[in-house]
Amino acid sequence: MTKKILLAFVLAALPAFAADSQWALQQATLTYHVSHPLHQSEGVSHAAKGKGVCHAGQCDFLIGVPVKSFDSGDSNRDLHMLQVTRGAEFPMVLVRTRLPESSSASATLNVDLEIQFAGQTAQYKQVPFKLETLAGETHITGTIPATLSDFKIDPPSLLTMPVKNDIPVRVEMTWRPQ
Amino acid sequence: MKAKGTHLILGVGMLVFSLLIFSLLISVPLQAQAQTQPEPQPPATPNNLPDAPSSSKTEPTLQELGFPAEQTQANAAQQALLDKRTHMLKIHQRMGLITTAPLIATVIASMGAGGRNSSTTSRDLHAALGGLTGDLYGITAYYAIRAPRVPGTETRGPIRFHKVMAWIHGPGMIATPILGIMAFDQKNKGEKVHGIASAHGPVAVVTAGAFGAALLSVSVKF
Repeated sequence: MTKKILLAFVLAALPAFAADSQWALQQATLTYHVSHPLHQSEGVSHAAKGKGVCHAGQCDFLIGVPVKSFDSGDSNRDLHMLQVTRGAEFPMVLVRTRLPESSSASATLNVDLEIQFAGQTAQYKQVPFKLETLAGETHITGTIPATLSDFKIDPPSLLTMPVKNDIPVRVEMTWRPQ
Repeated sequence: MKAKGTHLILGVGMLVFSLLIFSLLISVPLQAQAQTQPEPQPPATPNNLPDAPSSSKTEPTLQELGFPAEQTQANAAQQALLDKRTHMLKIHQRMGLITTAPLIATVIASMGAGGRNSSTTSRDLHAALGGLTGDLYGITAYYAIRAPRVPGTETRGPIRFHKVMAWIHGPGMIATPILGIMAFDQKNKGEKVHGIASAHGPVAVVTAGAFGAALLSVSVKF
């Protein structure tokens, strides 16, 4: 009898520990932009993977992208980027955020982001994103106002002129509930 | 005889000068590198590790994203290789820029070195500047050739053109001084420059052009 009561309690408690819903990142395009007096260059990655886990009305998201997956069309620049960002030592860029579950219905979102990159962690508050839901998929676009100094990266230089500190990252993602 | 002696003294002088520049260039980046050694990281706590167990039971982890382990693990040897490569290519870039100055000066000095109205002094000056250019070019090339390659990297973008140009200005930088010495000797004997030595000018122009194109290809976006 005691065992049955215990089993009933355990079964009753299980839903409380289980996630309510999950999100999976279907597609992502991340583009960083670097400005130099002689060059404007962009590096693109389509290799991001992400997951969102919702519980009690809150969703925790984690997005990861390998540093070396960014392609600027110039292998020399990509290798230099990998070196200055210490991409072999810290091979992943990780983005974490927490959102209310109900926010997927909004057209715009202001998101607090925590980004781990180059061995540093930076917080970005209230970054605006646009949301569009089509055929069960949610498309998110926005730009993260990242800077080199946020991650203690020495600005690379060409012909003794350093690049600008601002390296905005354009984000285009498609999420699907699972 | 006197001209040869002057040429030798100028050549040795330029070699010493280029070695002095070289030693200065080497010491500065090394000092800078020593100063910018990363500070020791504080001991990692579960919260600042990307794949650490989260305090929240619902927070996804890096393992759940499904990246292969080799893609997420730190590789100190690879980072050291990248650091060495960047260090050597920075010197290559700096030396390449420095080499441009005597190269331009050599081209300008060539105007008084050839032709009927040339003088021994202008030929000596041209030869000395050419020697300096050759020395600095050699150091520049050394740092590009010796910079470690990163396995599995396919060369893409303007750097391809930069490397193709090296196949032109590299042999050119060997041929130009050899032809130049031949032309110099013929001129000093009072002869008109003849034979293969007469190719000194055209070879030098092609070499300087390829060098300039290589420099611009990685500096200015076309």
